[in-house]
Amino acid sequence: MLLLQLVINGLQLGAIYALTAVGFSLIFGATKVFHVAHGAAFTIAAYLFWWTSAVLHMPWPVAALIAVLAAVLFGLFMERFVYRPIQRHEGAFFTVFIAAFGVQIIVQNLVGTIFGRGFVSVTTSLSRSVEVMPGLFVAPIAAISIVVAIIVFTVLTYYLTRTHTGMAMRALSENPDLIRVFGLDPARVAQYAFAIGSAIVVPGAIFTAMTAGLNPAVGAHVMLISLAATIVGGIGSLRGAACGGLLLGLAENLALWRLDPQWSEAVTFVVLFLFIIFRPAGFFGRPHGAK
Amino acid sequence: MWAYIVNLAVLISINAILAVTLNFILGYAGIFSIAHALFFGVGAYTATFVAMKLGADFLLSTAAGMAVGALISLALALPALRVRGEYFVAASLGLQMLAITVFTEWKSVTGGIGGLTNIPPARILGFEVTKPEHFLVLSLTCLVLIILIIRALVRSSFGRSLKAIRDDETAAWAYGKNVAIIKTTAVVLSSALCAVGGSLYAFYLSFINVESFTLDTSVQLMAMVIIGGTATLFGPVVGTILILLLPAGLSYLPYLPPTEIGSIQQIAYGLAMVLLMIYRPGGLWGFQEKPKAKEGGAP
Repeated sequence: MLLLQLVINGLQLGAIYALTAVGFSLIFGATKVFHVAHGAAFTIAAYLFWWTSAVLHMPWPVAALIAVLAAVLFGLFMERFVYRPIQRHEGAFFTVFIAAFGVQIIVQNLVGTIFGRGFVSVTTSLSRSVEVMPGLFVAPIAAISIVVAIIVFTVLTYYLTRTHTGMAMRALSENPDLIRVFGLDPARVAQYAFAIGSAIVVPGAIFTAMTAGLNPAVGAHVMLISLAATIVGGIGSLRGAACGGLLLGLAENLALWRLDPQWSEAVTFVVLFLFIIFRPAGFFGRPHGAK
Repeated sequence: MWAYIVNLAVLISINAILAVTLNFILGYAGIFSIAHALFFGVGAYTATFVAMKLGADFLLSTAAGMAVGALISLALALPALRVRGEYFVAASLGLQMLAITVFTEWKSVTGGIGGLTNIPPARILGFEVTKPEHFLVLSLTCLVLIILIIRALVRSSFGRSLKAIRDDETAAWAYGKNVAIIKTTAVVLSSALCAVGGSLYAFYLSFINVESFTLDTSVQLMAMVIIGGTATLFGPVVGTILILLLPAGLSYLPYLPPTEIGSIQQIAYGLAMVLLMIYRPGGLWGFQEKPKAKEGGAP
């Protein structure tokens, strides 16, 4: 029964991780920007949701809308004012990475200064566990996060395979000129990728605020998870990032069967390391050499 | 005031050791490690362990720290360096997070959150280093030695291979360079030399705990290198001085609550990293040794 409980908790956490990782992977796949400030978008969205709903007592749809707006604006801001100026003079991977890391540091500390460095969470009846079977406790939020994750992936897949801009987004990293032929502006498509990728982080941020709670350093953890899930799933594959996130969530919870909770990050790392050693291309990635 | 200056100078020289060794892999080899604080920690804990069990011989403790640091970095580098740069970033970030857990939980060796206290003063060839001024001489000597070692390495054929790999891995490989071995050697050397900083730190403060070896420290070291200037000999030293003088400078500003100084320091160097990457990717010191800048096309 404990095992089943851990699997359910793992699926819930995995859904949140998958949502985060897919946003990162979408941005990376389309624009080749290693957007480690994705964790900052998560932090901003999660804290704004907490502040508007738990402190200002706004209704949750309003709070969620504000969180989405903030995340999207943050993504667009990063694309317009940080990544684009850097890529204009040199597109080196590390230059972009350092700038993104700098933003992550700024956001983490600003959030700590404004909202406090303590632990906060949004209390809701949704996160209260109900005993569905003897010894098995499930909160409605578990089902909600899994369903939301599935809906988001379905909509996203439809968008990427059936609409013009979606297809352009997939083509962007391969052949920007082709997008021009289609009558679309590559810079505009990159902005869409940042807007959508950042918006996808919001459900995960909200569910984390409702379940595990937040602190300003949550962005670093999100960053590790997004990177790990992207690599485990195969760089450039959205399906892979989603599966990678799910796998990490499950692994983290199943580890509790034998280990103390403080080792959960260690489990993420071990999974990541095993993949790097034995299957660097990930689940769905194409094998590649040294770039 | 004198004691304050000496203390600051010791901390600057120790941090400069860490920044200079990080720059060796980051700047010259293009290997991006977010786990440098981990090797700082390994050096500190190992030196303390040896000092407490076998006596506080500085050379012996430091050598032990270097050996353990080298072994752990080998375990990180061997698998992670066979693949692209993104993987090493992720693997080192993961290892850094793992290390914090190990430092916190392995209580018999690291003392857990409480850390280790009463580390005996360092002894070198029978001479006990107790006065801060003497310690400053010791740490500065180590810094100068390490800068000289790195200077020699960078100018050797090994250093040229490293830079070749950084600039074009495929081309270096095509020229018959064993890319994996060269990169791994660089990481092992950098980590071993970084452990010297850890050993100095432990003996100087005679107290260490996990707080000094967290992700924040790794990030701060990265900021020192980047703000000062990657792939320059003295850039990281300049960066270290700037970042460590910042809190001292901030504390003179009125209306600034002391609890926020750490945050403001981090915001300042985060901002510096972003702005430098946009306007001056070579860092502050970078203009002197920077190769000719790429001519940008029309915007």
